[in-house]
Amino acid sequence: MTGNPENRRMWSGVWGYRESISITGGLFLTGIALGYALKREVTAVQWPANLFFGLFFILIIGFSAVFFRKSDTFRWLSGKKNAICAIAWYLIVITLLGFVPQKTEPSEDLLYRLGFSHILSSHYFLFAQVYLLMSLGMVTARRMNKLSVRNLAFLINHFGLWLTLFAIGLGAGDLQRVRMIINKEYPVYEGYDEHQEATGDLGLAIQLLDFSIDFYPPKAYIIEGSSGEVLEHDTYLSLKEGEYGEINGWKIHTKKYLEYALGMEEQYFPVYETGAMPAAYVVAESLDGSIISEGWISCGSYRFHGRYLELTKGQLLAMAQPEAKSYRSEIKIYTQEGDIFDAGLSVGKPVSVNGWKIYQTSYDTERGRWSEISIVELVKDPWISVVYAGMIMMVLGAFYLIITGKRKQE
Amino acid sequence: MTETLKIYAAIILSLWGLALILLAYDVLREFFFRKTSRPLAVIYHVLTLIGFGLIVTYTLSLWIHLQRPPMRTTGETRLWYSLFGILVSYSIFLVWKYKALLGGGLFFGILFLAINLSNPEALSNTLAPALQSNWFIPHVIVYILAYAILGMSWFVAVIALITRKNPRWGGKEFSIADNLVHIGFGFLTLGLVFGAFWAKEAWGHYWTWDPKETWAMITWMAYLLYIHYRLVHKKDNTQALWILVIAFVLLIVCWFGINYIAVGENSVHTYSTN
Ligand code: HEM
Repeated sequence: MTGNPENRRMWSGVWGYRESISITGGLFLTGIALGYALKREVTAVQWPANLFFGLFFILIIGFSAVFFRKSDTFRWLSGKKNAICAIAWYLIVITLLGFVPQKTEPSEDLLYRLGFSHILSSHYFLFAQVYLLMSLGMVTARRMNKLSVRNLAFLINHFGLWLTLFAIGLGAGDLQRVRMIINKEYPVYEGYDEHQEATGDLGLAIQLLDFSIDFYPPKAYIIEGSSGEVLEHDTYLSLKEGEYGEINGWKIHTKKYLEYALGMEEQYFPVYETGAMPAAYVVAESLDGSIISEGWISCGSYRFHGRYLELTKGQLLAMAQPEAKSYRSEIKIYTQEGDIFDAGLSVGKPVSVNGWKIYQTSYDTERGRWSEISIVELVKDPWISVVYAGMIMMVLGAFYLIITGKRKQE
Repeated sequence: MTETLKIYAAIILSLWGLALILLAYDVLREFFFRKTSRPLAVIYHVLTLIGFGLIVTYTLSLWIHLQRPPMRTTGETRLWYSLFGILVSYSIFLVWKYKALLGGGLFFGILFLAINLSNPEALSNTLAPALQSNWFIPHVIVYILAYAILGMSWFVAVIALITRKNPRWGGKEFSIADNLVHIGFGFLTLGLVFGAFWAKEAWGHYWTWDPKETWAMITWMAYLLYIHYRLVHKKDNTQALWILVIAFVLLIVCWFGINYIAVGENSVHTYSTN
């Protein structure tokens, strides 16, 4: 192995790669064996136990950095070669994660028993994370005594990453994500966790007052009548009243567009009623002008059929389901303390109540505009500010890297 | 608009193709005969820059046409890659006077533009609600910049691997590769963190080990490995170069290869294909 004074016997003198590889490799195998033997997955630790674990971990790192900074073992543990092995081990584990499809339900097959199809809750992944955190924590602690711009940059990068990973790891047990399906009939006070289990009372209840969607104008496409296949097209045609467009050799003029319509005997009328659908009156002309066809098309809704326009014997013009541009739930929130208030919820604009953040995530997509429900997610993430503090340090560190590149080595 | 792309791409590809040939000729001549030609250099610079102007024009007109930032589909990100690849390689070329790097920019510019030309995507003006965020543009831009810079480091590593044994070669590759990786890694970090902030805002959690996220972390860790490996192995060494070569392969998997592997199927982040 490069960089090793080769005549040294293993485990003697100043440690290097061989010891790091043996230890990380050994821990890897131990983790696999442990998972196999215990038949149990790793579960995250909750408050306040995680706090104690965290403090204990910091104490060990701090203690060794203060009292053993000159010792060979500490220098090796906090050193570059050990860091390389720690990073490599972590990289290997997440690369497995990148290739092996993961299971959500426990199973009896060997892959699962060895922990390769539930990597995130495996013992060896926990070990790899702790080892990385230890190595990173120790080098950070060791370098905390020097003050210089370069060292500051080093600390921001390393401490930032350390803090981020540390807070994510410890906070995992306190993180709560609850999916809740709300409706207009009555306030809902419980939801479902990641394992689809009911959560019980969450200390607040939510009722849907109104749900609305704003759509993009629907697109037109052409179907091969005989095979039912959609013709490929590399441009798009939005059906907007008064507009002209071109697709697959047809010039399309949208003469009329109704966002909410119902159809009767080849005709569509503007009606605003549950199940109403978009409809457009179009004139289609082949590029050479030889064929003209006109009539109504509609994508239909969960209640009513859509409608095609026959262009030629072999080709049909159709309307695609419109895509949502934005959607929004007006909700009423009831808290345990007896507060009642209204709020508006849309994607990317969560609402905070009692330590929960409420996110708009979905709706009854089958019904679209006429969805009777709205799907929201409630998230409680008490460690978030610590995680963000770490991430912001990483951003600053990244700017340093971008500005300076790699300085010349001495 | 696709017709327009064909015309633009055909012109840009010929300009850059010619520039690449002239550049290669110039570099090889310098390598073997220690001769350079100024008029030749002027020609390939001008060709490169005209091509660059055209790709910027096309990208902006696509932006206007779609009424949204063209950063949603793989093809759209490849377009930006071609653009940034030239921008980055040209700037770095100006700083380090390293001609072969410009070749790298041209190489990737041509490659990704040609891929786009050979499988045109359906255009679409829609942007799902979660994508309509202030994070969208910075997130994509820093990632594509990172990819462009790290792509150059791959190119430099490949050149270094090929010419390593030849005493005639300048040997600037390592310091250039190191610099590129540090800068590219900085952008990669920004992309990762911006993505986390964005995901928190849109979906309520900053990290879920979704396949795309996992692969972003794999890529990030691979370059982190290189940075630290170089701290120990300061002398030129082949392993470090191989780390760079492999890291870029991982990056490509993260960027679009993920659509072709089994785990990628249930990712919420993969670029849309329609
Ligand atoms: C944001 C992530 C990281 C970045 C940007 C980064 C960057 C760097 C840089 C630029 C150096 C050279 C600094 C100098 O000498 O001034 C360095 C040194 C080092 N890094 Fe990192 N690193 C990161 C994460 C890690 C991790 C995860 C570990 C450990 C597992 C680690 C362990 C080390 C070690 C041991 C050194 C040598 C320091 C010394 O010997 O004084 N780094 N890192």
